[in-house]
Formats: sequence, structure tokens, C-alpha cells
Amino acid sequence: MKAQRAISFFLTLLAFSLTGVMQSTARPQQTAPAKVDESVEGEKRFAANCGRCHQPPQDISPREVKAVLRHMRVRAMLSAEDERLILKFLAP
Amino acid sequence: MDSKIRFQAAPAWKCVEKKYLSPSIGFSSLLFGLVFLALCSSPVLAQSEVPVISGSFGFLYSKDDGQTALQPILTPVVLVPLGSHFLVEASAELQGYVAPSSLHGPYTGQFFPTIEYIQLDYVVNSHLTIVAGRFLTPFNIYNERLGPIWIHNFQDGPLIYPIGTRTTGSSDGGMVRGDLVSRPGWQLNYTAFFSALSNGTYFGSGRAFGTRGGVFFPRQRLEVGMSFQRFLQDERSNSYGAYVSWQPATTSLDIKGEYAHSPQGEGYWAEAAYRLSGAGWLGSGMKNLQPLFRVQQFFRLAPGTNDFLPTANTQRVDFGLNYYLPHEVRLNASYGRQFSSTGNSNNWTVDVTYRFLTPLPFWPKGAP
Repeated sequence: MKAQRAISFFLTLLAFSLTGVMQSTARPQQTAPAKVDESVEGEKRFAANCGRCHQPPQDISPREVKAVLRHMRVRAMLSAEDERLILKFLAP
Repeated sequence: MDSKIRFQAAPAWKCVEKKYLSPSIGFSSLLFGLVFLALCSSPVLAQSEVPVISGSFGFLYSKDDGQTALQPILTPVVLVPLGSHFLVEASAELQGYVAPSSLHGPYTGQFFPTIEYIQLDYVVNSHLTIVAGRFLTPFNIYNERLGPIWIHNFQDGPLIYPIGTRTTGSSDGGMVRGDLVSRPGWQLNYTAFFSALSNGTYFGSGRAFGTRGGVFFPRQRLEVGMSFQRFLQDERSNSYGAYVSWQPATTSLDIKGEYAHSPQGEGYWAEAAYRLSGAGWLGSGMKNLQPLFRVQQFFRLAPGTNDFLPTANTQRVDFGLNYYLPHEVRLNASYGRQFSSTGNSNNWTVDVTYRFLTPLPFWPKGAP
């Protein structure tokens, strides 16, 4: 009984989240500009991937970014494209 | 220190099944040999990436059911990229625990050094990364992603944290992970690992294998996934779990939750955080504030020994506040109320954390 309650609560949370996905997916997609600024796209990738767990780093030099990104590529399972674009954002 | 007292006072991920701990250097020798081999075979000195030392320092004050404790914690992380595909990464946690020895007695201190991970990563491509060494056990998301003190919002770990992370939260063995399928609208990621039983003082781990799979919708910033683990020693039990992580793109809301089940017990936690930078009408002074809320329940299904789970059904609710200062400093305060048949309790926590990042000193082309 208690197990069912726990599972029900979790499924409710999941359904609530998926509702948000449906609504967001239903929105008309904006037409992408011909040439996307890679730094802007990198910021989006950062927010979508890294921003799920922590705030953006405030003080990070271009020398340090690559090692940190390699670390996060493993930890957060970033793709090679994610790594490249986020590097453009953090170390333009 | 008695394990029960330590579980109440320290975060759950600090729990160690001490019966497995005895000095051993076999595994560590093998690991260091592996790292040394990789260092020698890679053009590390010619690369543009510099090794860095990162991590965090924190100082925690807690009052848990009337028991006061002070805990300074230092967690250095060393990252050494080797060429374009390899990375050696290592992290230790150096934790002090200062508390009164009796109700009105003098404060006494203890020190707990642990090695969280020391691993060699081979990034083959976006679909496959091979990891060897000691790594954080990938069960659900808390242990791997939310473990560092500068990331998680409540310094007390979830009640269900010990499920799937036995024996120490780390595993010694091998792991593969990556994106199985990657499309613009969704990504399917996976992790699979095997861990050997290790009795090393700083390398304790249980014999187990497990897997985790998740679907991530980047536009919606939503990820859902499931975990499974087979514990291959003692009672040889199965644990499984599910998780959700959602940060709607249009707000500063952050929602996370986990469910986990083991033969000894099951439960869930759900957490919400809202960064007030998303509420412009409050003014700029409030933009660094982040109210927090967490609810969790645990249901004891069977008696267990050394499972580090609550001994009885437990419910808990937490309220907290983060304040983000410049230069990676974060202030945090929280209050929790726990309800259990073994006794209700209040938990107060105040802490400050600082995250640092700098090129590794004493390394060629490292620190300036």
C-alpha cells in the first residue's frame, strides 16, 4: 500500500513533467537564422546540459576550460558537438 | 565513530560499510600503474589543455535532533587531459567532524579522508566512453551529479541514498557510457558498470553490476531515466530506481526527484528550487536568492544490517535558502523536520561553500 503510494507520487511528478514537454513541443518552432552564432548556441547547450545541476562558472580562463569540459563530457555525457559549442561559449 | 551517529550527523554518502575495510594495496597499485602507463604513452607535454585542480571547500554547522556538529570539508578534484581522447580524473574528500563528546562535554574532532574516484577515461566518441579505475557508482542521479557540496542544495543526503550506492558510493572496476541515440529533440543515454569487491582502506567497494538509461529532451530540459543494480555479495539483492530532472526553459525553476527500491526498503525524494533571478519584479537585490523545498518518504520493507537506511518508516520535509555570492561562494541555510516511529526530530543546517578552479601547480605548462 505504502509502496503504491510512493510509486503513485513519483508517477504523478513524472506526468506533470511530461505535460510540460507536450505543451512546449506544441509551440510553433521558430525558423532558425541562416547562420547561428556558435557562442549563443553554446550558451543554450550550457543551459540545457550543465545548467541542470549547477550555475555557470564565474571565473574560468580559456586555459582551464578544455580540461573541465573533458571532465563534464564524461560526467554529463556531452556529445562532441556539445563540447565544441560550449567551449565557444566559455572561451570565445 | 558509531555508524548510526555518523549517519545522522554526516551526509549519507559518507557512510561506509566498515566490515569491508582493511588495508590493501593491490588495487591501488594496479590503478596507479594504469595511470602511469597512460601518462607515458601520451603526448601530454605537447597538448594545449592544461591540467587543473578544482573542487570545493565547505564549512557546515548542523544541529540534528539536538546534537551539534561542525564539519569542515575539502574536496579537491584533479583533471589531467591526455591527448584528445584520454582524461585522468581524481577526487578525494577530506572531512572533519567536530562534536561534543557528551551532552555537555568538550568538543572532540575526527577526520575522515576518502577517495571518491580516480579513473582513466577513454572518450572513443559521443556514443562510447570507457572508464577504468575507481568511479562514482552510477545509480540514479544524486551520487554522480549532485554529490559535490557546492552543487546539492541540502547538505543532508536523501534518505534513500544508500540504495544502489553500497558499499561506499564508489565502485572499483570498469564502466561504459555515452549517448546511444542523439537527435535534436531527444537523446538516449546509457551507463553500464561492473565493480569488484575491494577491501582497500581508501578504495572500498562492493561487488556489483548495474546499468542506467535515460532520455533527455534538451529543448524542454527534461530528463527521465531508470537504474538497475545487482549486488553480488552477501544477500545478492537487486535494487532499481527511477529519476526525473526538469528545468523549464522559461523559468528559473529546478525540479528533481528520485525513487529507489531495495529488498530492505524503498522511498522517494522530490526537490524544487527557484532562483529569484527569474522574478524581475523583486528587484536586483533578490536575484541571488534561491528558495528550496524537499519532501521525502522512506518505507522499511525488511530489517537490514549495515544498509544505512532508516530503521523505520520515515517522512521528512526540508525548507532552505541559497544565496549566491560573487567568486563561487554560496551561503545556505535549511530546516528539516523528520517524522518517524523512532522519534521526530528537527534538523538545522547552515553552511558556506566555495568552489575553486586553477591550473595544476608544478606541472609543465600548468600554473602560470
